[in-house]
Amino acid sequence: MSQGNGADERFENLRQELRRGSLPLAVLAALRTEHYGYTLRKTLADRGMAIDEGTLYPLLRRLEAQGLLVSEWREEDKRNKRFYSLSPDGKSILKQLSVEWKSIHASLEEIF
Amino acid sequence: MGMALVDRYLNAVKFWLPRDQKNDIIAELAEDLRAQIEEKESELGHQLSDAEIEPILKKCGSPMLVAERYLPQRALIGPVLFPIYRVVIRSLILYFLLPWFLIWLGTTIFSPDFRIDHPGVALLVSLEPWWLACIHSLFFCTLAFALLDRSQARAQIVNGWNPRALPAEHDGNKISRGSTVFELTISIASLVLWFELGAFHRVFHLLGMTVTLSAAWPYYFWALMVLSIAIMGVACLNLTIPRWTRLSASLRLGLDCYLWVLAYWLCRNWPVQSLTGADLSPAVAAGKIAAINQILSSWAIWVALIGAIVLAFDVRRILRVEREASAPLSGSARHVTSANGIL
Repeated sequence: MSQGNGADERFENLRQELRRGSLPLAVLAALRTEHYGYTLRKTLADRGMAIDEGTLYPLLRRLEAQGLLVSEWREEDKRNKRFYSLSPDGKSILKQLSVEWKSIHASLEEIF
Repeated sequence: MGMALVDRYLNAVKFWLPRDQKNDIIAELAEDLRAQIEEKESELGHQLSDAEIEPILKKCGSPMLVAERYLPQRALIGPVLFPIYRVVIRSLILYFLLPWFLIWLGTTIFSPDFRIDHPGVALLVSLEPWWLACIHSLFFCTLAFALLDRSQARAQIVNGWNPRALPAEHDGNKISRGSTVFELTISIASLVLWFELGAFHRVFHLLGMTVTLSAAWPYYFWALMVLSIAIMGVACLNLTIPRWTRLSASLRLGLDCYLWVLAYWLCRNWPVQSLTGADLSPAVAAGKIAAINQILSSWAIWVALIGAIVLAFDVRRILRVEREASAPLSGSARHVTSANGIL
């Protein structure tokens, strides 16, 4: 029983590690269309990449600090929201990362 | 009512955030939480209570954890220097602080004079230099490594390394021929010297005095002879097989045990029985005998302590030999395999 729990825990840790590595790519890809935090989370969750707010917002800030995203505070539905979109650098990096991702995927398919 | 709970949560997160980003981060987080609450309210058709808001906040994470994700990754001593720091701290404890404490403990337990000089609380106060040494050494060591981590030295360690400059693999079970030859020479020399001095006699003359040793001395002498011969035997064995084996390591433990028990026994048994001389009054002689025997007796605790440390190393050696023997690929086999280029 405890061995089963240990295996579940190990799987969960590895699964999270795998997904964590893919998150920046998923966020960049989703931000080809402008989003604010909450709708970005919903978009990602609807496509099977659920991400909690505690992870998403620091990640958005890091990507913005790296010059891959641009953001602006804007009023929508009488509320101030911060909208994010890809910067020119972000678009270029996204292209390169997409190629890399496909290459990794193909390699793994080959290995499996 | 419910929003007050959210405000409290946001306030708690805000406390841990970097000053220049506080308001920006909180505004964004507040907007996200509000959107989640509104969505839940429209789903349930009523305003959320505190009890219903609580799981939303819990899912978001503890305020400190949420804030921590916005902060840059910081460590007093980074992963490059931390293993070295750990080795230094371990050595500091093992070879400096622990022996000091054991000496204090041994003195406290075995020396009545020390207890008389430090009654009650004064006994604990006598440990104060040790406490200060602990705090100072650990503090300055940590400080030195923290500064090193922020200096150029870290970059040199990471980038300036050379595979050829790495230390050779240490084989703890190998016995160097040099040390064995040294041990053999010392044993033979002490044996010869011992006989030359006629140490098997109980009575001998020194500086115009006649010294008579206790009746137990001949037993001690022959016991020491047996020990020297046994040590030479083990040294010869080690010359033939220059690796610690179960047999040689166990023999070493047995001989060391024998040696230190013998030394302890000598110290505790007042070896000088009488002292006579032309210019020596019986009272002075008695005082000198008592002083010599007293000094030897006070050494007993140190002999016991050093003996215990030596025996601990011997036991550790046996355990290491056992580990090597039970390992799937034993040490010698590993070396052979390595030499063949398999590993």
